[in-house]
Amino acid sequence: MPQTTQTTKAAGLSLRARSPLEILASNAMLFLPSILCLVAFAIYPLFYSARLSLTRLESAAGTPVWVGFQNYRDLMSDPQFWNAAMNSLLFVSATVSLQVLIGVGLALFFNLNLRFSWLVRSILILPMLITPLVVGVMWRALLNPEWGLINWLIEGVGLTAPNWLGSVRMGIVTLIMVEVWQWTPFVFVVVFARLQALPTDFYEAAEIDGASRYKIFRYLTLPLLMPAIAFAAVFRAVDSFRSFDLVYGLTYGGPARATTTLSFFAFQHGFQFQNYGYAAATSYVMLLILVVGTTLMFRYVNLRPEHLR
Amino acid sequence: MSKKGQDSLRTAILRSGRSIDRRTLLRNSAAFGIAAPLLDGYLAVMSPGAMAQGGYDPKKYAGTEINLLMTGDENDHRAIGDLLGELEAETGIKVNISSPALAPLVEKTLQTLKSEKSPFEIIQYIGFLTTQQVGGGYFEQLNKYIEDPAETPPDWDFDDFLEPAMKNVGYYDLEKGELGVGKDVYGIPGVHSGSVIYFYRKDLFEAAGLQPAKTWDEFHEAAKILTTDDVAGCSMIGANDFSLGVVDWYTRFITTGGVLCSGSPKDGTFKPQVNTPEGINALQMLIDVLPFAPKNVTTYGFAENVDGWSAGKIAQMIFWVAVAGPVYNPDTSLVADVTGTGPVPAAPGNDPRAIQGGWGLGIPKNADESKKAAAWRALTWITNKRVNEYSVEKYQIDANRASTFQSPDLVEKFPYLPDALTAAQTAETIPTSLIDEFFQLNDIMNVEFNAALIGQQDAATACARVQSQWEDIFRKAGHLKA
Repeated sequence: MPQTTQTTKAAGLSLRARSPLEILASNAMLFLPSILCLVAFAIYPLFYSARLSLTRLESAAGTPVWVGFQNYRDLMSDPQFWNAAMNSLLFVSATVSLQVLIGVGLALFFNLNLRFSWLVRSILILPMLITPLVVGVMWRALLNPEWGLINWLIEGVGLTAPNWLGSVRMGIVTLIMVEVWQWTPFVFVVVFARLQALPTDFYEAAEIDGASRYKIFRYLTLPLLMPAIAFAAVFRAVDSFRSFDLVYGLTYGGPARATTTLSFFAFQHGFQFQNYGYAAATSYVMLLILVVGTTLMFRYVNLRPEHLR
Repeated sequence: MSKKGQDSLRTAILRSGRSIDRRTLLRNSAAFGIAAPLLDGYLAVMSPGAMAQGGYDPKKYAGTEINLLMTGDENDHRAIGDLLGELEAETGIKVNISSPALAPLVEKTLQTLKSEKSPFEIIQYIGFLTTQQVGGGYFEQLNKYIEDPAETPPDWDFDDFLEPAMKNVGYYDLEKGELGVGKDVYGIPGVHSGSVIYFYRKDLFEAAGLQPAKTWDEFHEAAKILTTDDVAGCSMIGANDFSLGVVDWYTRFITTGGVLCSGSPKDGTFKPQVNTPEGINALQMLIDVLPFAPKNVTTYGFAENVDGWSAGKIAQMIFWVAVAGPVYNPDTSLVADVTGTGPVPAAPGNDPRAIQGGWGLGIPKNADESKKAAAWRALTWITNKRVNEYSVEKYQIDANRASTFQSPDLVEKFPYLPDALTAAQTAETIPTSLIDEFFQLNDIMNVEFNAALIGQQDAATACARVQSQWEDIFRKAGHLKA
C-alpha cells in the first residue's frame, strides 16, 4: 500500500475518487451560506418590491390591492414623474461629463509630478470621503444668501451673488456643481492610477518616431486611458442616477420641483406620502433605465485596453 | 366637616368618572357647602400618596418596562428624557424612548401598527395623521382608564387639555369614521400642541407710530413702512417647505373667509376649494409683500426665519408659536426684549385663527396586553402638568394644558403665552388632515405656491394647478366621486 494512502487512512480520510453527485453536493454546501444571504437580502426584497409595485398600498388602513400595471400606467401619465426623469437625465449627463473632463485634466496635471503635488492630491480627494447628506447641508450653509461664505466672498469683490438655491435655473446648476465638487476626485483617482501604470515603452517609441505632444496625448495616452475613463464614467453615472442624499440635504427637490430627481420622487411617494406601490413602481422603472443604460454603455465602451485584447 | 360629609364628597369625586382639578373641586365643594379651609385639608387627603388608600397606587406597576416611540424632531423627547428618572422614582416604571425623525417615525409607526404585536406600548403620532392612524382602528380607547380613579392620577386633570387639541388628536368616532367627533378618546395631546401667532418688533412699530397689525391690509402697510436696508418689513415661509401652505397661505385663506374643502370624504363629496377668490387672494397677498420681505425669502424655511428674526432683520411675521422660545431667549436672540406677539391678522368680519398643530400619544391595540395599564400610567405621567411646565420652561415647547399657558411664573418669563393660549383655543384642524393623503396634498400646495413666489406662475395659475391635482387625488382615493 502506498505511503500516502496509509497516512490518509490513518487520519480517517479517504482519497477515493468522488462521484459528480458528491462533488455537486459538497459545492452546494459551500455555496449555501452565500446563496441564502443573497436570497434573503437581495432576491426576496427584489421580488417583494416587484409584487408591491403591482399593488395599491397607500395607508395604514389598507391591505395591498392588486392593480396590475396600473401604477406603471399612472407613472407614464404623471407629469411629475417626467419632470423628475428629465431632471435626473440632466443631472447625470452634466455631472458625469464635467467630472470626467475635470477629473482627467487633474490626473494629467498631477502626473507631471510637481513639487508638493502629493500633498495637494491628498487634500483633493477629501470631498468624496464626506457623507453626501453632510455635503448637502454644508453647501446649503456655504451658499446661504444672508450669511454664507460664498456669497460673502462674491459680494466682497463687488459682484452680485446668484440666487443659488432660490431660482429654478440656479437650483439644478447648484446641485450639479456640488455633485461635481464631491465626486470629481473619484474620477481623478481612477484615471491617475491608470496613468501611473501606463507602459513607458510606447512613449519612448512615439518620441523616437517624432510624435508631437498633442499626437502622443491624442493617439496614445487617451486610448490607453479610455478603459479607466469608461469605468469611472459608468460608475459615476449609475451613482449619480441613484443620488438621493445630496438632493435631500441641499435642495429638498426645490425650488418648485426643479431639482426633484427620480430617487427623490420615489422617496417622497414611499416615505412621505406612503404610496408604497407607486414608489416601488418608480424604483422598478429606475432599475429598468439603469439596466438598459449600463448594458448600452458596456456594449459600446471597451473596458480592456487594446494592447491587452 | 363630618366624616360622613368627607366620604360623600370623596365618593362624588370618584364617581364623577375622571380626575378633578382644584378649581372644579372648589366649585363642587361649594355645592356641598364646604368651606375652603376644610377643603385644603381634603386636598391633602387626595394627594397621590394618600390616594393609594382610595384605589390609586402610584407604584402599582413598578418594575414594568415601557417602550415609547416618539418624534425626535421637536425636543419633546429631550424634555421627557430629562425626567425619566423622576418618572421611575415615582411610579417604578422604566420608560425607553425611541425617537426617529418624522418620516421614519411615520414609517415605523405604520409597520408597528400593522404587525401582530407592537414592540412599543406608547406611540406618538402627528395630528395631521390622526385620521390615518387612529381612524385605522389601531389605538386603544382610553376612556376606561380616564374614568377609573384607580388607574389615573388624581391630579392629572383631563379637563385641563384644550378642546381644539383634543379634537385634533384625541376624539375620534370610529363608527362614523370622523375625527374630533364624540367623546371616545384614543389619544392624549402630547407632549405639545400649538398654533400660529403674530410676531412684531415693538421698538420698530413704536418708532414708526404704528399699532400691531390687526388686518392683512395693516400688515401690508406696516411692511411697506418698516422696510429699510437693514430690516425687512415682514417675512414668511417662502421656500418649498411644509409650512408655506399650512401657515402662511392657510392662515390668510381662512381669515379672509376661505373654506378649504366642501362636502365630506365619507360620501364622496369632498371637494377642494383652493381655486377660489379667497384662495387666489391669499396667495396674492404673499406675492404682494415680497418686495418688503428678505430678498431671498423664497428659500426661507423655519430656521432661516428664526435666524432672521433673532438677528433683528425682520419687523413682523406670522409663525408657529414654537419659534417664540428661541426668539425670546436673550442668549440666542438680539431682539428678545423688543419682540411682541398678538393674534394673527384677519380681514374685517373674520376671527383671527390658524391651523391646529401638535401631537397625540396613544396606546396601540396590538401592544402587550399585560403592559397596557402600565403604559397608561406612564402616559399620564408624561402628559402631566409638571412635565408640560418643564417642557415650556426648559425647551419652550408649545404647551398643551390651559394651566401651563396661565402659569404666572411662566407668563412672566414668556410673555407670549397668553397669545399662544388664545391661538390654541381658537385653532382649527385643517380639513385635509381628515384624509390619508394629507402630506401629498400639502406637498403639491407648497410646490405650486413656491413656484408662484419665485415668479414661475401667477397666483391664479398656482391655485388652479393645486385644485386640479388635489381633485385628481381626491377622485383616485374615492373622496370625490363627481
